[in-house]
Amino acid sequence: MAFKEIDLNMGPQHPSTHGVLRLKLSVDNEVVLRVEPVLGYLHRGMEKLWENLTYKQIVPLTDRLDYLASLSNNLGYVLAVEKLAGIEVPKRAQYIRVVLAELQRLASHLAWAGFMANDIGAMTVLLYGFEAREDVLDIFEEYCGARLTVHGIRIGGVVHDLDAALVSRIRAVLKAIPKRLQDIRTLLDENRIWKERTVGVGLITAGDAVGYGLTGPALRASGVEWDMRKDIPYSSYGDFAFDVPLGQNSDVYDRYIVRLEEICQSIRIVGQALDGLPSGEFSAKVPRVLKVPPGEVFHTIEAPKGVLGFYVKSNGTDKPERVKMKSPSFINLQSLERMCIGHLFSDVVGILGSLDIVLGEIDK
Amino acid sequence: MNRLGRFLKSFFLVDILQGLWVTLRIYFSPKVTVQYPEQIKEPAPRFRGILRLHRDERGEPLCIACKACQRACGTNCFDIEGKKGEGAKVMRPVKFDWTLERCSFCGFCVEVCPTNAIRFSREFRLTGLDRAGLLFDLPDMYLAGEDLQKHLCAGCRRGG
Amino acid sequence: MTPFVAEFLIPLGKIAAVILYPMVMVVVMIWLERRVVALMQGRLGPNRVGFQGVLQPVADAVKLFFKEDIMQRRADKLLFNISPVLVMFSSLLAFCFVPLGEPIRIGTYTLTLWIAESPVGLLIVLGLSSISVFGVIFGGWASNSKYPLMGALRSVVQVLSYEIPIGLTVLTVAFVARSMDLVEIVRRQESSGVWHGFLMPVSFVVFWISAVAETNRAPFDLPEAESELVAGYHTEYSGMKFAYFYMAEYAHMVLVSSLVVILFFGGWLPPFPSVKALSFVHVVPGFIWYLIKIMFFLYLYVWIRATFPRYRFDSLIRLVWKWLIPLSLVNFLAVALLGYLR
Repeated sequence: MAFKEIDLNMGPQHPSTHGVLRLKLSVDNEVVLRVEPVLGYLHRGMEKLWENLTYKQIVPLTDRLDYLASLSNNLGYVLAVEKLAGIEVPKRAQYIRVVLAELQRLASHLAWAGFMANDIGAMTVLLYGFEAREDVLDIFEEYCGARLTVHGIRIGGVVHDLDAALVSRIRAVLKAIPKRLQDIRTLLDENRIWKERTVGVGLITAGDAVGYGLTGPALRASGVEWDMRKDIPYSSYGDFAFDVPLGQNSDVYDRYIVRLEEICQSIRIVGQALDGLPSGEFSAKVPRVLKVPPGEVFHTIEAPKGVLGFYVKSNGTDKPERVKMKSPSFINLQSLERMCIGHLFSDVVGILGSLDIVLGEIDK
Repeated sequence: MNRLGRFLKSFFLVDILQGLWVTLRIYFSPKVTVQYPEQIKEPAPRFRGILRLHRDERGEPLCIACKACQRACGTNCFDIEGKKGEGAKVMRPVKFDWTLERCSFCGFCVEVCPTNAIRFSREFRLTGLDRAGLLFDLPDMYLAGEDLQKHLCAGCRRGG
Repeated sequence: MTPFVAEFLIPLGKIAAVILYPMVMVVVMIWLERRVVALMQGRLGPNRVGFQGVLQPVADAVKLFFKEDIMQRRADKLLFNISPVLVMFSSLLAFCFVPLGEPIRIGTYTLTLWIAESPVGLLIVLGLSSISVFGVIFGGWASNSKYPLMGALRSVVQVLSYEIPIGLTVLTVAFVARSMDLVEIVRRQESSGVWHGFLMPVSFVVFWISAVAETNRAPFDLPEAESELVAGYHTEYSGMKFAYFYMAEYAHMVLVSSLVVILFFGGWLPPFPSVKALSFVHVVPGFIWYLIKIMFFLYLYVWIRATFPRYRFDSLIRLVWKWLIPLSLVNFLAVALLGYLR
């Protein structure tokens, strides 16, 4: 073929850039030479917006960052503010938060499995993943009335108590999910086409992964054991026994396996949290107008997509002076070029999918 | 042996047949689709639908125009003015404007309301074809059911 | 029967039937695909337009008919307009040579259920179905856009590669049937009593895989890989031109399924003709058997699409050059050797 090196604009309108990401690709035939992500198509000025809102009013806006895991964003922000304001959260609230956050991780990973498989062409898995995710979203609707932008975690605690009916419903859903997961795994795990598309694709060494600041399941697929829930436990995560699934080959296939394993671990954690749910208040007493003493704090949690950090600086009023967010998708996207170079154009789609990015979080 | 097993599995397309079996099983199993206009999946009791003002059992409005919701709101949905009538003990709203298009259904107004006057309804059909339908004044805040739908569709042919 | 009827009206009717029959099959196929894929994914699929949504493809066609026809300003106008027609025309033309059943006797007149019977019908059908790749290339190139171009390039390599195993497996059938006449091939299967698919399973499997690849269907739908190339070679097409590409793809599938049935599964012959207990099979007309068999293979197309991920370009080419071509060569030699020894 006669032509050499063409520039290809993938996005912002493209079926598999997970939103409005634009990738400037240089390809030689189909071999990728350069990848340059162009961001900002979904920029809403979140961080500036937060400076004009009270601490409490910011929480529903964090829902809109990683809209596939809104509760994890709530949790990350709320923990940072509580740390700065010195609010002691009751043990029951901490457990309910763990239940919610792990359910959210389940939902996020199930949606990811669907998107990822759809990118590689297995569109049926998309529907299976979403069907399973729907059950988790139904729990959220039952718990606080919203499915996607949940706004379930408040400063000082959570919005509602977990009653017995809901607990038994969560247990029923947790029991049903492994079955649906098994369908996905039968379709993909051993499938020769899936393996050809994923094994050995998008490699990144452990050293490079750490160097690029890769976090979350993508990092753990490279064999680096780094999970904030284990290493710097927050919100009583230390009370629960769970494993951190690790990969060896740091390819797309391992990222897929690690995420599916994490779903099983999340089910374990939720089960333990429901068993050991302590009695007590589900929210601490927080003044109606929350004034946070001057100072600054940085707090990180393990969101489904990676390490999510919030930096909050207070000047003593009821509004923060500055809130800065360290979003895992944004940082994980950096390593895309490293993983893609030399692969075929089709693999860019798969690798991008394996990073599990959400544009709401990247563009903020 | 292990390698032979793997080869045989691959040669006889075991992975392919397993996949085909899964899709065939789902093909014959019950479906999850809810056929919307005929079947309606009832929202949960705590569902955060459209906001509605409530009256007490004597038909008196519960709202005392304290503007707590207006202050709690992060998106400035509300514009409330209250007035104390002649000889009345409490204030009553004379103006209660709510902008649906700005609302993010976060629930702060419902949580802070001291008299439980403003509550979420389970109405999830929020579509209006005209901007006027998305603006609610005091009488509109009490609308429910089909009246509410008519209000939302004010200006569109179906609603009129 | 007057010569006017025999020489003019009946051929005219047959021509109309040959255009109508693939079109009806395409409509059925589009509906079938959307419903079956949906059911396999745990949802219902289109079920509103007509009974169980059977009129959905018609509704789609009406919608596409009223859509604006957009063409890029710098597109090659002639090729851009010609290519949908070329794709459609080549698949429809091939149907002229596909027999639909045993000739019917009406008094002294014999009504043949095909327009043309040729001693090299097999070659003509394969040739015509390959012409459609020109439409794909022209369409992709004339769009003056990068995604269609890449889709067209992929399509060329894919179709050219997969033609080879198709040719080699078709040769085994021609060898066993000692004819390249499609009607004759079916008659051979009747007289020998065993269908070629059971006689030469390897030929059938290789032919089927290659045929799926040649029709650009999942898991080999690289030229129009949605998640990679947006819509592949027809990204820039809209309205009726897009509908032509769309319908041609399905017509091609029907054609390939007909070929598989004729070459390997006895065309319009009923199954188990020699088993006495199942003699009712002869009551059902041959054409119905033929349709049932075609529907089975169309269903298989959909089933495969609903189940598997998409191949990548290099593994697609590796599959054909490292597996299918050697396999079909060995298969051809084996068939030839066994045929010689007998």
